[in-house]
Amino acid sequence: MKKKTRTKFVRYLGKQMKEDFSALQIYSRDMSKLPNLTKLLFNSTPDGIILPRNAEDIQRIYNLATETRTPIIPRSGGTTGFGGSIPYNKGLVIDCKGLDRELLIEPIDQTVTTSPSIIFSELQKKLKLQGFSLCSYPSSYYSATVGGWISHGGHGIGSIKYGSVVDQIVEIQVVLPNGEIHSFYEKENISLFFGSNGTLGIITEIKLKIKFDIPLKQFGCTFDSPVELMKGLKELQEVDPFSVWFLNPSQVSAFNDSFGYNLPRSYVAIISKEISYDEEELAFSVNFNNTIRKAGGQILDKRYITDIWDFRFKTFALLKEYPDFLISEVILPIETSAKYLRKLTGLFEGSLRAEGELISNTHYSLLLYLPIKEPISDFKKTLLMLKINKHILKSKKIGGFPYSTGLWFAGYYSQIYGKEMYKHYKNFKKKIDPKNISNPGKVCSPKMRFFPLLKLKFVIRMASELL
Amino acid sequence: MSSSNEWQVDILDAVQQCVYCGYCGICPTFRELKWETYHPRGILDQIKMYFEDTTKEELKGDISKSLFDSIFACTMCKACENICIADIPLLKIWEQVRQESFKRGRWNPALLSLYNKVKNTQNIFGLPKDERVSWADLSNMVMTKRTQRKASLAYFVGCQASYSGKMEGVAASVVKILRKARVDFTILGDEEWCCGSPVFLAGGYSVGKSFAKHNLDQFKKLGVKRIVTACAGCYRAFKIVYPRILGDKWDLEVLHISELVAELLEQKKLKYKKTIKEKITFKDPCELVRHCGLIEPPREIIEMIPGVRYEDLPSNREEALCCGGGGLLKLNDADLVRQVNSRLIEEIEYSEAEIVVNGCPTCLDTIQQGVKKKGLDVEVIDIAELIKRAIGE
Ligand SMILES: Cc1cc2nc3c(=O)[nH]c(=O)nc-3n(C[C@H](O)[C@H](O)[C@H](O)COP(=O)(O)OP(=O)(O)OC[C@H]3O[C@@H](n4cnc5c(N)ncnc54)[C@H](O)[C@@H]3O)c2cc1C
Ligand code: SF4
Ligand code: SF4
Repeated sequence: MKKKTRTKFVRYLGKQMKEDFSALQIYSRDMSKLPNLTKLLFNSTPDGIILPRNAEDIQRIYNLATETRTPIIPRSGGTTGFGGSIPYNKGLVIDCKGLDRELLIEPIDQTVTTSPSIIFSELQKKLKLQGFSLCSYPSSYYSATVGGWISHGGHGIGSIKYGSVVDQIVEIQVVLPNGEIHSFYEKENISLFFGSNGTLGIITEIKLKIKFDIPLKQFGCTFDSPVELMKGLKELQEVDPFSVWFLNPSQVSAFNDSFGYNLPRSYVAIISKEISYDEEELAFSVNFNNTIRKAGGQILDKRYITDIWDFRFKTFALLKEYPDFLISEVILPIETSAKYLRKLTGLFEGSLRAEGELISNTHYSLLLYLPIKEPISDFKKTLLMLKINKHILKSKKIGGFPYSTGLWFAGYYSQIYGKEMYKHYKNFKKKIDPKNISNPGKVCSPKMRFFPLLKLKFVIRMASELL
Repeated sequence: MSSSNEWQVDILDAVQQCVYCGYCGICPTFRELKWETYHPRGILDQIKMYFEDTTKEELKGDISKSLFDSIFACTMCKACENICIADIPLLKIWEQVRQESFKRGRWNPALLSLYNKVKNTQNIFGLPKDERVSWADLSNMVMTKRTQRKASLAYFVGCQASYSGKMEGVAASVVKILRKARVDFTILGDEEWCCGSPVFLAGGYSVGKSFAKHNLDQFKKLGVKRIVTACAGCYRAFKIVYPRILGDKWDLEVLHISELVAELLEQKKLKYKKTIKEKITFKDPCELVRHCGLIEPPREIIEMIPGVRYEDLPSNREEALCCGGGGLLKLNDADLVRQVNSRLIEEIEYSEAEIVVNGCPTCLDTIQQGVKKKGLDVEVIDIAELIKRAIGE
């Protein structure tokens, strides 16, 4: 960053800006640690980090950034593994965790107005005290923020019943890259920010729909094959579940190893249902058992169910024994993905672990973990990463797509959200951020740093396909 | 300062296990300071950079500045370790980094002064040894016969209850409870040395060890088999730190006053005589609940009080909020203590409790200040004081 530019920011921000070596390193990574080789593609070390306290601070930051053409990278929990919250090529990371706001719960409307930086577990605790609950939340419940989830384009527990977070937003306040503070109420405009990865500005306030806090009861089943699992996912929608979460056989083995379980090496699904009364539970139980039998599954032994469900926020712990790991995520259609899922599960000598969550009547998300058993070279890790990438991109043939764009999947927005939405996004982006200062390199594929004739998407795709 | 192998963990190995889930972001001081350099996950990153051989020497100065700053902004509340999905022994790591900072001569003057005070006078206030039992005079109690007598139970008073005017009621209450139940007990008197908690927390290992040895010798000399204390810091030191550094030699049973009262009530040696009408809540001290897993005894004995109206705070048991006063943070950043504390005070206000009961002198002091600052009409007392009232003393 030029000295003059730096001085401008420092003069305005003072102690709200950090530039020391440690801070720059910490803010140069997110949940997944990229191999050093990727430094050829990205320079994710920022020039500085800013901790704004309110929308006005952000307004000023954007104005200065536009004036000096400085990339602005919003970051909240830093818990995604898609590179959305790290720089593509330097710039200033805006740490949104300083955006506090008093919580406003409106019981009649069943809404909550909150700061974007609130962590889900904290928000849920406050809602529960008043008898309410979030409609859906990610399994990074203890570390993810509401603003980060919206921008990442998240789905999660509860999405099958209440939709993705975008379906729950009533109003969203954003500081646009042109410095305007704007509130959006219309679904069409709110949708723009879902999966926008901070490219359309910084979310500063959110009004979300909430629901009554109805107790959740868990039920479990197993399916021997992806075909049966898919049949099960379809049938299960009939029982109006709150969440349908499943593990692939190698993730089940990891549970067996860690907990001394003796679960069959098949697909294990845990279904969560809102149930208020004992009689309701009894009736549901019968209905559930019949549904599973119809789909060709077996009922899971009760004693495992609660334990597995209670571990739903902690499954990353199963990776702690390994010196390294890789993660990725894809969204797949129920109708056409059985074969693909079987193939995926067989990759890397069957060591690819997967967890799925039903997110709509037609699709499920699949989180993939590849534990790396021995320390490997940076080069090998990059190859593995590209290999996983290749398979995620292959899902296009059966109607699948990457979970989010971020940096790693920049250029796949239209595949994820559709062409119409992409057009809407592009027009809006051009209007509010003509100089592309808000999180450049994300959502739309950037030009290569050292070879601007090529785009990053092309290079990553080619490298993946060559493997 | 020396170190012991069992005391230490292989820092780089432990750091390696972090899966970067970010759950330790529930850290109460990080929540206030917001920069990820204070996020336990970020502290681990800095530790890695600092200890790794591959880091350039010229960068280590910068790295250590931020690392030591972060490590002393910690209240040692253990919320991070409790939630860590990779079971990383974060507290041990934090202690080791504090030791490293001592070795490099990087403790701040206030911390160093405390360390020297404790080292030279065996109490955290730097006051004369012969004033250790002055709390008894203030409460019109005569402790001469109890001091240094042979008994199987010892009441370890602790520096705060011994010397601090604010805590003077705590020791007197414990003694009244023990007397009422006709329990034979002893106190160490002038020979009671600080349990070493603040020294261990600051990373001072060898001084703390000499304190542990001294106290053990004293207990052995008097034939003590069980120790009771009303101080969460002393309790933690006896339960966790002493066995680590003294090994099998430390074979004494350690009780918090709430555990002993539960036992005495069950044995019918103690009976509640008074009803307490005010609404009561209990703030789980970090050192009792997360460090030592002591959860139910305080609740059980409160709930047995006739006519009691008890309600847990919204964040309770293992998820209890930190008061902000631990980890010697008061000596590093008093403003941060107030900020952290204000979150707890909000919960106390929400609970509509009229009495906040506690089991830790540090919490007691911090909560009292917070309540006063917010202007709440809430009484903040130690659990021993509550029990004393309920037994009609
Ligand atoms: C254990 C674990 C489980 C997970 N489970 C799920 C899951 O079930 N579902 C799921 O969707 N994801 C999941 N994730 C991924 C991730 O945690 C979530 O998507 C999370 O919601 C991201 O929030 P964050 O605050 O960490 O955002 P960050 O990672 O900080 O940011 C995400 C994106 O949003 C942008 N951004 C951040 N804040 C703002 C803001 N205020 N305004 C505008 N843009 C902003 C960033 O630039 C970035 O592009 C999981 C991760 C982990 C570690
Ligand atoms: S012990 Fe408490 S204050 Fe210290 S890092 Fe852990 S959570 Fe934060
Ligand atoms: S909770 Fe544990 S594993 Fe997760 S980021 Fe913190 S230290 Fe790492």
